[in-house]
Amino acid sequence: MNRRKERFSAKQTRTSRKYLNRIRELGQMPENLEPFLSVLDDVFVKESLPGALQGKTLVGTYCVMVPQELVYAAGAVPVKLCSGNYVGFSIGDDLVPRDACPLVKAVAGFKEMGTMPIYQNCSIMAIPITCDCKKKLVEILEDQYKVYPMQVPALKEDADIRQYIEELYLFIQELEGVTHREVTWESLAESLELTGYAQRELSSFIKRKKRFPYLIRGTHALAVMNAASWLPQNILAEYLHNLNRELAEREKNGILAVPRKQPRILLTGSPLIFPNMKIPLLIEEMGGFLAADETCMGERGLSDPAVVVDESFDGMMRALANRAIRPCSCPTFADNKERIYRIKQMIRDYQIQGVIYHVLRGCLVYDFEYNMLEDELGKMGIPVIRMETDYNEEDIEQLRIRIEAFIELIKLRGED
Amino acid sequence: MRKTQKRRLTQLLCCIGLVLLAFFADRFPFHVTEEEELHTTLTQFFSVEHLRRMVPLAIILLIAGAGIFLVIRIRMHMLLSDPVKRKTARMRCPHSGGHVTIPERSAFHTIRWSCMIAFSLLTIFGGILLGIKVRGFSLPVLACPTNMDQLFESSCYFLAHIPVLLEEYTPAGIALFAVSTMGSAALLGRIICGFLCPMGLIQDLMHLIRRKTRAEGVFMEEKAYTWLLPVKWVMVLLMIGLVFAGGEFCYFCPALATSPVLAGMQVSLYLSAFMMIFVLIGSFFKRRIWCNICPLGYLIGLFHHVSPFRLKKDTTACTECGACYEACPMGIKIIYTEREKTDVTDINCILCGECIRRCPEDNALAMTFAGKRFYTASREKVVSGYSLAIGTASGKKPCTYKMPENEIAEKYKKREKQ
Repeated sequence: MNRRKERFSAKQTRTSRKYLNRIRELGQMPENLEPFLSVLDDVFVKESLPGALQGKTLVGTYCVMVPQELVYAAGAVPVKLCSGNYVGFSIGDDLVPRDACPLVKAVAGFKEMGTMPIYQNCSIMAIPITCDCKKKLVEILEDQYKVYPMQVPALKEDADIRQYIEELYLFIQELEGVTHREVTWESLAESLELTGYAQRELSSFIKRKKRFPYLIRGTHALAVMNAASWLPQNILAEYLHNLNRELAEREKNGILAVPRKQPRILLTGSPLIFPNMKIPLLIEEMGGFLAADETCMGERGLSDPAVVVDESFDGMMRALANRAIRPCSCPTFADNKERIYRIKQMIRDYQIQGVIYHVLRGCLVYDFEYNMLEDELGKMGIPVIRMETDYNEEDIEQLRIRIEAFIELIKLRGED
Repeated sequence: MRKTQKRRLTQLLCCIGLVLLAFFADRFPFHVTEEEELHTTLTQFFSVEHLRRMVPLAIILLIAGAGIFLVIRIRMHMLLSDPVKRKTARMRCPHSGGHVTIPERSAFHTIRWSCMIAFSLLTIFGGILLGIKVRGFSLPVLACPTNMDQLFESSCYFLAHIPVLLEEYTPAGIALFAVSTMGSAALLGRIICGFLCPMGLIQDLMHLIRRKTRAEGVFMEEKAYTWLLPVKWVMVLLMIGLVFAGGEFCYFCPALATSPVLAGMQVSLYLSAFMMIFVLIGSFFKRRIWCNICPLGYLIGLFHHVSPFRLKKDTTACTECGACYEACPMGIKIIYTEREKTDVTDINCILCGECIRRCPEDNALAMTFAGKRFYTASREKVVSGYSLAIGTASGKKPCTYKMPENEIAEKYKKREKQ
């Protein structure tokens, strides 16, 4: 078993390093992206805890529907544990049903091997019950970790929000039991301030990207968002602040990440989690420009701020519940038309020329929404392509050909 | 089925109760004087007599304060009996100060507040201070016209006393009344409620006090507002029809207990004083509670299709985060669920701009006058209040962000050294 663990670890490190290097080699990487990449390096290549997380109580979360503010208010730091690991996937393949999504397989693989300190150090894992696979994830992880399944509504009516707020109060109780610190009005207010400031830096990052579409490669932006999963908000704000400063300079001097004629592509669909970065990397390596992404580990997961209307404790809880549920365009919600509107808005903001729809094998909810989106985009005259993949590199050549053809298609359309 | 029946029944009982209360309003004496004095002079303003006449108002405030305190205690008691929330009950109020960032006050809100304050002062004291009394011209605001010395007339008196209007006024006067009332309602729309009405100011002040004390408010869901709809109709009916049935709407209206009393007039207060107490307690917990049942506001709202002040929405920019719905004192839900129409001006919308202030999406909501945007939502405004999270653990108010970039960089460096 130990030999197997070592082999797993070595393989895992190798893949992660490879993808990290590919991200670095893309060219025109902002200098201030390096801190973000080094966090990914710490977690996946060095297999250690990033410096900022050492000595902290860690709370693992699996979806964006877990309000991070509550975790901070209880004196812990949240980390997002959703995995995109190919090696974890290959182990997990034998542990869960064949048709389960690769994300769950990868998590199951990590649990089986138990080599990642970031998984082992979590005091509690909060798993929102969203899609079917996440639901069963509770069962998979239960025997080794302290798991807290969280009820998330499938609708967004007033009654659902009310129920979710009750759920958040229960979650507070659970967190207090883990950290032995009380969530008070002050601590909640403070954590709102903490995340709010990071939000502010993030907003200006996204805004700058919109204003000046060729400023930073989408893969680099995705790396930022992925690294944000492993960073406390104050450090994240600081890194983002530095990155923003550099980008502002770039904007002033008119430095582009890629030449202007490259087709602008939007990536949407199933989550893209490091190191599963093959599609964004291929887009950029094949001469496309990933202008933006609409995925939950990317922009969507972090872009909506909690808007406090009322300063009372209950008011803050309402703000958190509203932020977590109402703007979330996750397809696990029964009625998710707002995702179409969001994509339309992104197409307008980033002047998108083509959309790539990423579907992980077994990720049914995203697959369901493809047809609706295809119809809508067809009306707008935006080409869209569906790419189904798994957490392995077997289909990489096939993907390369399809992406290349798609980019050529957009270029041809542009010339007409 | 049984649930809706129950709902209907309570609705019906409420409406009947309201009608009975309004009809027998004069059976609830709060403060009755033999000689009513509806005029005042500038010299009287600084006399002891003026203070003495304010006593009923002070009593109203005292009772309202006690009521609010009682409600807070009862809610705390309820909280303590809740198995889950019990644990957080003690920690719910701030002990060492602290700070929550709320989207900063923009010029729009400064103007709104100044308008409300200035207009309320004018309607109550304007006639005495300026010495001008515009007669004949009526504006549909709830500034009680029993105060004979106010700057101009309020439409509500004649709306509630149509026979008096027909009897006393010449046709030209009636026409002027109708034109000025309807004209201002059409031109300004419910901006009258959000910007001018003294009742609005009183309620907003109560709301402000609650927020400062960090007491918890009541969030009313859309369902509750739809429940209120028949109550609104009954209120309109009462206002216009009570006089024909031999009743007196003014004895019921809470506005009677403010404007004339504040101006130092001697008036008899019946149920209106109790209504005022209800409005004060209610608006402390639920913002603008009276506006939700105000008959005059409802009538102005009928003109919302023609008013040039409009609330516009960019439906693709909206992410349906519901911040506007959360902030709306009138509980308008379509403002965030609407996905097709770009005009979201609702009959209930008082154009207070709270939704735009809280909207985190650029250009998603905007207020327009005759098609021209003058107040637009922006992400930057929403998040700009958040400050650099350094040293917040001490519970002190953290330093604000409004400083040059190099200073921020220095702060970061300093923290790194530590």
